Formats: sequence, structure tokens, C-alpha cells
Amino acid sequence: MTDARSAIFAAIATPSRPPADIARAASALLARVPALRPDRVGDDVAAAFFARVTGPAIGASGAKVASLSDVPGAVGAYLAAHDLAARVAVQPHPALLDLPWRDIVAHRDIAVDEPVAIGIADYAVAETGSLVFRSGAHTPTLFAFLPLHHIVVVRADGVMAWLEDCAAAESRLPAPRNLNLVTGASGTTDIEGALVRGAHGPGYLHVILVQSPL
Amino acid sequence: MSTAFTARVDAALADRTLKIAIDRTTGTARSKRAAAVAAWPHFQQARALGRDIKAHVTANLAHYLAEFERNAIASGAQVHWARNAEEACEIVIGLCRQAGARSVTRAKSMLGEEIGLPHALAEAGIERVETDLAEHIVQLAGDTPSHIVWPALHKTREQVGELFRANHADPGALASVEAMVGSARRQLRAKFMAADVGISGANFLIADTGAICTVTNEGNAELTTTPPRVHIVTAGIEKLVPSLSHAMSLLRLLVRSATGAELTQYTTFHCGPKRAGDADGPQAFHIVLVDNGRSKMLTDGLAEMLSCLRCGACLNHCVVYRHIGGHAYGGTYPGPMGSVLTPVLDGLETSNDLPKACTLNGQCQEVCPVMIPLPTLLRGWRDRSWREGLEPATVRGAVWAWRLMVMRPGLYRLATRIAVPMMRLFARRGWIAAMPLAGGWTRHRDFPAPARQTFMDQIRQQRGQS
Repeated sequence: MTDARSAIFAAIATPSRPPADIARAASALLARVPALRPDRVGDDVAAAFFARVTGPAIGASGAKVASLSDVPGAVGAYLAAHDLAARVAVQPHPALLDLPWRDIVAHRDIAVDEPVAIGIADYAVAETGSLVFRSGAHTPTLFAFLPLHHIVVVRADGVMAWLEDCAAAESRLPAPRNLNLVTGASGTTDIEGALVRGAHGPGYLHVILVQSPL
Repeated sequence: MSTAFTARVDAALADRTLKIAIDRTTGTARSKRAAAVAAWPHFQQARALGRDIKAHVTANLAHYLAEFERNAIASGAQVHWARNAEEACEIVIGLCRQAGARSVTRAKSMLGEEIGLPHALAEAGIERVETDLAEHIVQLAGDTPSHIVWPALHKTREQVGELFRANHADPGALASVEAMVGSARRQLRAKFMAADVGISGANFLIADTGAICTVTNEGNAELTTTPPRVHIVTAGIEKLVPSLSHAMSLLRLLVRSATGAELTQYTTFHCGPKRAGDADGPQAFHIVLVDNGRSKMLTDGLAEMLSCLRCGACLNHCVVYRHIGGHAYGGTYPGPMGSVLTPVLDGLETSNDLPKACTLNGQCQEVCPVMIPLPTLLRGWRDRSWREGLEPATVRGAVWAWRLMVMRPGLYRLATRIAVPMMRLFARRGWIAAMPLAGGWTRHRDFPAPARQTFMDQIRQQRGQS
């Protein structure tokens, strides 16, 4: 094994270059990015995100609410509209657990075939309409993958413009086990190129954009 | 052309269903990619940036590989090294045995196919569950992938329906593609949760964090890598990028070129095992870094091929791939990129037909998101096949005779002056339908009749008149 490592390094050896030079060349490459990105964000990043995630390419449904306390009402409306039982798995995040769920039965453990789960994204990216989840004690990775209907709360002031903003934010934080960028419901084009939703992950994604800061 | 390759091509061309299946998927892929590219005014500059990022990595491969290893170990991952396919499989099987694995889930990885992991797991008696829908179809059919993005591209919906009816516990009516996807979802759900080990590939290795990136539309990668106790990654050493920011630039190019979407539904960066206090995730995280010919490509004039993102655009746009499909190529990787890689992996002696099965129309290079000069690399293999004496005696003899003629202008002119009227004897209404020694051409299409006189004679006459 150690043999393999040294053999590979011997085979790819190049004249050594000072690491500072390599780092300079790497950042010079990134300096070219802002001028060539597909310009699709504009000034109101939260509005751009919402339009993108609910647009035809991604095809999620969405609702805007004024504050976090309006979330149970928005969830209830979604459940009623889709004729779903008032029973949801709630991501074990304090911001969600503390909400008054009233007539919705909220449980914390997600089942393998959970019909509906409600989660909260750490932030979102307007450019691509992506929700970003950082795995941890309050954010089990599987919450975004097991349910059939995934309802996701994200706050408007947590929307970033570009994928590079996501990378910059992450570089200031300790890396989680999983950084998940979720861009729409699960889908597949594996049979004759036809798009079908709900391949393994959620078949439906519903985004609730909270306008006020949490 | 060798008989084995010709036989595979003949079989593919005679298969009517195959042509329909290829047209359906590649046609959709081409039009969706074209729309995504048209919506990005700076696409060409972005491709140049993608090319330059990968070239920078290749030029500093040892630096980034060492940095990646250091950061991956610091994050709690265990890093393993494999010089070739056998070593890589040995490491993975060893890790599975160490984990007491009876069942392993796998998220589609072309590197896994390249090193023969499906076969190695079967030999070790470990249950392998392919979780990508297309790989699941391929596994049920006892088949191999025929495309690097759509492995089951060669199957029609009717064929998939038959497979699911025969193999799924609860297939239902299977009347539509939706119903087939639903049946696979029910079939695989419990398997995800019961697996002891999850194996994935990596689209990118992030040097400055030690994270690895997977992209899927189905969500099967995360369901493969989260529930089991152990997550094993197999990745080629060329998959590096300096940072998460660099990965973002390449993701924009990769996804648009592959499916025409702006980003895959699930783009995940996996860094180390489950943290203390985490709600889920594997206890152990292993990364197997595989060379398998890549370091040799650096010195063999194939360094540019190490930039390949495996988007599949060159397959979808290739006139040859679109007629013969992936299996006829006979290697792990089909299409233009495969014809460059297969001689590296399987040896030029057995695969020198592939670089020749190409019209050099240059479409692959035009659509490549990182501007790999595929036609140049293919010509390089043709050149090498000649220099290494791998061309058959008939070809060598014909080229020798041609050289003899063209180096003697008098002889060449005499020969053409005789040949032109001879050929015209076989022409009817300007076309030659059959002629001795030309069967290879005229069996499938007519040959245009030559002009009355050779070019040189016409020039001489015109000059004489003026």
C-alpha cells in the first residue's frame, strides 16, 4: 500500500514549484469567474431564487410567508391541497420543533417511507435555485432523501446570489460530513430519456420562503 | 479492422431496437444541451476557464494529491492508494470483509466499472445492489453499461418492463415509465437501509478540504452513502480540483453538457465520517485513489485527456456512437472519449480499431466542456499504431505502394491517365454502382464517376489555350 503511494507519486513527479506560486495561479483562475457567469440573479436575490426554484426547469412548488410562525399554516395548506394526512416528520431543528403545530401531528423520527417531512435549509443559492443543507445534530442527511413530499423552509435573508458565495461561506466554517445542494425533487431520465419524478428521493419539493429574519 | 470489432459493429447496425433507443435518449440530450448553452452568452469563455482549471491541476497533480490526502486524513477519512485495477478491487474487498459486509449498495461510478468492481464483489460472495436506476436495469439484465451517463440507454421501455416483471417483488402494472420508476423505488428502498457498506465514485476531489463530490438526479448517492456503517469512495487521481470554488465552475459546465440542466438535483460534498453528535452518516469513510494508467497518460502525450469530466456530450454528438451504441466499442468507456481511453486501459494491440472508427468531423471537440482536442488524440493513437507495427500487412502494403507512386510524379500521372477512362467504363449516369476492387465502397453506396480527364491534363489544356 505504501509502495503503491510512493510509486504513484514517483510516476507523476513534476519539477517542484513553490506552493505560493501554485496558490496564486489557482486564485488567478477564479478571478475570471464573475465576468463569465450566466447572469441571472439581479438585485433581489430572494425573489430570483423563488422564481427559479418554482420555475419550469426545477418545477418545485412554493409559498411565501411573513414570518416563521406562519409556517405551520402554510404546511397545513399544502397538506390539505394534496389530500395528505395531518402527520409530518419534523427535522429536529429548534427553529421547527418550537413552532405551534396545533392540529398537525409532528414527530421527529423519519420513517423509510415517510409520506411528508418538513425541513429547514441552512441557506439557498439564487443562481441555481438550490437549497443547501449542512448535516449535523439538527440536520440529518436522510431527511432530505426519504420522504415522498419534502417541504423546506428557508429564510429570505439566507439566500445567496452565486455558487461561489456558497463556497466562500463554507470556507469560513468547519466542513460538515455532508453539504447537500438540493435543486428540485428527485428525478430520472434513465428509461428512454423521459423525465420521471420521485426516483429514489422525494417526488415533490415544496419551498416555504420566510420573508422576515428568524 | 479486427473481426471481433467488425462483428460487434455488424450486430449493432442490424439491431433496429437499438437505433430507436439510442436516438430517443441522445436526441433529447443534444437538444437540451443546446438550449442550456444558448442561454449562457459566455459559454465559450467558461469552457476555456474549465480547460485551464483542469490543466492547472494536471500540471500540479502531485501537489494537489498530497494536499487532498492531508486534508482528507485530517477530516477523519482513511486514504488508500491503488496502482491498478487489481489493487483497487483488493482494497475495496478487504474493507468490505473487515466491515463484515454481506450486502453492499453502489451508486453509479464509471471508475468502479473500469476496475471491474461488480465482478470482484460477486467473486467475494458479497451481495451487490446497484442503486442508480439505469445500473439497476443493467444489473438485472446481466449486462454492461452502454453510455457513461445513461448506462441503460440501449434498453427500450418495453424491455425494462419485462425485466422488472420478472425480478421485482411488487412490480404492479408497469404500464408507464412512471410505474416502472415506482416499482424500482419500492424494490430498492429496504436495500438502502439494510446495506453494511455503501460504495460511490467521485465527480470531484476537493484538495483544500479533503471532501469528495457526487452528483445525481435520483438521490441514490446519498441513500447509498448515509445509512451504512461504512462509505467507500473509489476515485481516479485526476479528479482533483484546488477548492470548492473551482468545483463550482466545473459543475456549471458538467451538468449543462451532460443533461442540459443547470445543476443536478443532488450535488453533495462528503467530508470525513459522521461527526460526534451527527444525526446520521457512516462511522468510517474510506477513499481509494486509483492510478490505473493515468500517470502514464501524463508522459504519453495524453495529459489533456485527464481533464475529462465524464459528461457524455462527445458520445451524444458522435455520428459513430449514434449508429453503433456503446457495446460495440468493447471497452468500459465508449464513444470518442472511450476510443482515447480504451487503448490506455486495455492496450493498443487489442483496441487499435477504435481510434480508426472515427470520421474526425470534430464534433466531440466542439461540444467538450473542457475543450479536449479529441480528434488530435485519436490521430495520435493511429500514428502510434502505425509506428508500433500493429497495422495489418495488407494496409502496410497498400500504403507502401501509394508512397511509391506519389513520390514519382510521372508514374502517378500515367497511372491516373489509365485509371480514369477505365473507371468511366463502369459509370452509369455519372455514378459507379459496382466496379472490381471497389466492393468495400460500392456495396453500401455509389461512387461518383471521375471527370473525363485527369486534373493535370485539364490544367495543361487550359494553359495551352490561353
